[in-house]
Amino acid sequence: MNPPLSDLVQANAKLWSGVEPPNAAAVEMADMLAQVIEGFERLRGELQFEDEPATFLAALQATKEIGQ
Amino acid sequence: MNAPIARPSSLQDLTLVEAARQVASGETTSLALTEAALAACEALNSRLNAVIWLDRTAALEAAEALDRQTASGKPLGPLHGVPLAHKDMYYQAGKRSTCGSAIRRDFRPKVTATVIERLHAAGSLTIGGLNMAEFAQNPTGHNKAFGDCHNPWAFDYCTGGSSSGSGAAVGGRLVTAALGSDTGGSIRLPASICGVTGIKPTQTRVSRFGVMPLSFSADNVGPLARTALDCATILNVIAGADPKDPTCATEPVPDYVRMLDGDVKGLRIGVPTNYFFDDIDAEVAAAFTAAMEVLQARGAEIIPLTIPHMDAIAAYGAVVSRCEAATIHAQWMRDCPGQYAVHLSGRLYGGYGIPAAYYLEALERRGPILMAIGAEVFSKCDVFATPTLRTKVPTLLATDIDAGTPGAIAAFNNLSINTRPINYMGLPSVSAPCGFDSKGLPIGLQIQGRPFAEGRVLKVADAYQRDTHWHSLKPPL
Repeated sequence: MNPPLSDLVQANAKLWSGVEPPNAAAVEMADMLAQVIEGFERLRGELQFEDEPATFLAALQATKEIGQ
Repeated sequence: MNAPIARPSSLQDLTLVEAARQVASGETTSLALTEAALAACEALNSRLNAVIWLDRTAALEAAEALDRQTASGKPLGPLHGVPLAHKDMYYQAGKRSTCGSAIRRDFRPKVTATVIERLHAAGSLTIGGLNMAEFAQNPTGHNKAFGDCHNPWAFDYCTGGSSSGSGAAVGGRLVTAALGSDTGGSIRLPASICGVTGIKPTQTRVSRFGVMPLSFSADNVGPLARTALDCATILNVIAGADPKDPTCATEPVPDYVRMLDGDVKGLRIGVPTNYFFDDIDAEVAAAFTAAMEVLQARGAEIIPLTIPHMDAIAAYGAVVSRCEAATIHAQWMRDCPGQYAVHLSGRLYGGYGIPAAYYLEALERRGPILMAIGAEVFSKCDVFATPTLRTKVPTLLATDIDAGTPGAIAAFNNLSINTRPINYMGLPSVSAPCGFDSKGLPIGLQIQGRPFAEGRVLKVADAYQRDTHWHSLKPPL
């Protein structure tokens, strides 16, 4: 059985950033990251190996309004 | 609906453009406007808590100097003599800028924000700093350090955030306009909820130099004001390249005001059939439908369409700003976590548990997703419209995470569900009032265009405001 997500978040936050849980709500909200994980799980397969560079700034220019 | 625009009965009822015109024509003075704004702040702030600080002496001195300039006959800027106040995160060298926080309660920056310099160069003056969510990070109006901000239409209700004081101050007619900032809806939410107009420009359109950061990738600077015309007038002044902000676009700035001609004949307005109307409140839906009918009557065409990749946009958008905010606040989260409100430190904390691979995936796909929106959405429509919120305006209590209100976390997160995705897309987005719910709280209409189409989205909002009166209604303060 996997440990609760909040346990993993607490371990990572402490290990990588030296940040402790500031309050109980933080632990509760850390458990809600499960929704983020589910969101990313649903997207698996959409991000393919990309050979070409792509940037958001280039996309802004490529899709911009011309002659408002 | 063709209700007449209400005629101003006092200086505080003037719009920004009307106030500037009256100064230019000699009908009023900057000093009179400034005294009226200061008096309104002092009379109403005990109920709204929209203002954190006022600098009465400096404001009156600036107004007198502007009046001397008027009398000299020199050319005047487009905002000449108009007193404004801004979200308290726009730095003015040597002046207090709290960022709505206990941590920066006495912070005095050494630089002045480019947008403040541009507003002053255009003739406006700044009378004070407005309440805001702590470090611009809640959508409700709660503030632990300076007290909650209250909605001018009903004091127990949220103002929206994070530009809570900007929404309340403009809605409550303390000032004609105010800068807000928008990372996930923080201009559009208080605009919608307080019954005013606000625009989040295209990502990179407006300089962020001298502005407190929240998210490098999603922060935007923009105005809240009574009308789309007022917003266009301010955007004309603040938009454009800034050598001090290398992330700011060099794209030329058109004259947004000249583009507001009321003509939407043949304009294609997309209305999404996915995501934005899920579980929508019936009163909000009815107000939105009525708004589309107003624009149709002006000749616009309504086109149902699907916005692609909404699952990805929702997932990725949630990760980008959260990771970036956690990065910015890491030292204070180690040193003084107790100085943050519970809802803020709780939200920041989760950012330390998100893998970098998720964050980078979210950034990597942002460009291709915007390209897909360009190809699949803006090939079929010129703008797309949604309600700004899916729900009626909630009370402060219902969204109070710090008070432990059951369901508050969900209600808190739900507020920005229609605004957050637009920040990930990077599109310009305006919110304009389009009605009131059965409890007397405002409802907002949100309009998006292609990148750098600020003029077009403002034009649609302005056309709508020519035929409706929602933006001219005054709260019963």
